[in-house]
Amino acid sequence: MKGKGKRRTPRYLAVGRIIAPHGIRGEVEVDIHTDFPERFTPGAHVLAGEGKAPLVIESVRPYRKRLLIKFREIPDRTRAETWRGAWLHVPVEEAWPLQEDEYYEYQIVGMDVWTEDGEYLGHVDHIIYTGANDVYVIVGPEGEILIPAIKDVIREIDVEEGRMVVHLLPGLR
Amino acid sequence: MSRSLKKGPYIHPKLLKKIEEMNRRGERRVIKTWSRASVIFPQMVGHTIAVHDGRRHVPIYITEQMVGHRLGEFVPTRTFRGHIVKEKKTGRR
Repeated sequence: MKGKGKRRTPRYLAVGRIIAPHGIRGEVEVDIHTDFPERFTPGAHVLAGEGKAPLVIESVRPYRKRLLIKFREIPDRTRAETWRGAWLHVPVEEAWPLQEDEYYEYQIVGMDVWTEDGEYLGHVDHIIYTGANDVYVIVGPEGEILIPAIKDVIREIDVEEGRMVVHLLPGLR
Repeated sequence: MSRSLKKGPYIHPKLLKKIEEMNRRGERRVIKTWSRASVIFPQMVGHTIAVHDGRRHVPIYITEQMVGHRLGEFVPTRTFRGHIVKEKKTGRR
């Protein structure tokens, strides 16, 4: 079972999605799918759609819980219509820098998880984002174990090795 | 109509009893509960409580900011897992 978790570094990360055109000047309504919406600034570029076409941001303004973005390559509403539903990506190398003890979801999912005593628990299958701490769902020989992402429990994370060491509090399994 | 102030905030009596017992002993273990409606009391701060989401118990660590809210507010009952890899961060708190 060990090493069963599938970890792979993606080439692109999704940061937003074009929902619909807005107005007649080519602005589009963008749903934010990144923890760093500050990356949408005039002059920044993103890759849009399946073909990863580069688009340069001309202007940004907030609109309800979304953003209204004007791209240099989209001059009018007719062109904006063709981008409806397109995902906006950035290359993984351009991912926003993280602070200590922070990781991207793709770095954690698929990691092998071991206890401090060297017992193999399984691999991280997915993450539940609660209103409090994140919860890592570990699938292994014993079935599903849910682990809170707190310092008392997660003792060590080695992204290079794809290995996580945890301290199981009594009652966690 | 809101809850009568005379009664105080609601908490499942067995849950409160378990927390107070653990505080007395200085013990740290995860408590499972189905009581999503229980209000988070200051005594619970620092404990990890596994709250039922309808299928399984999701462990959450109680912090000071959560006092006064209900346990269920922190554990979603619906999950959507897409296939797109997003620029989403996670980490130890």
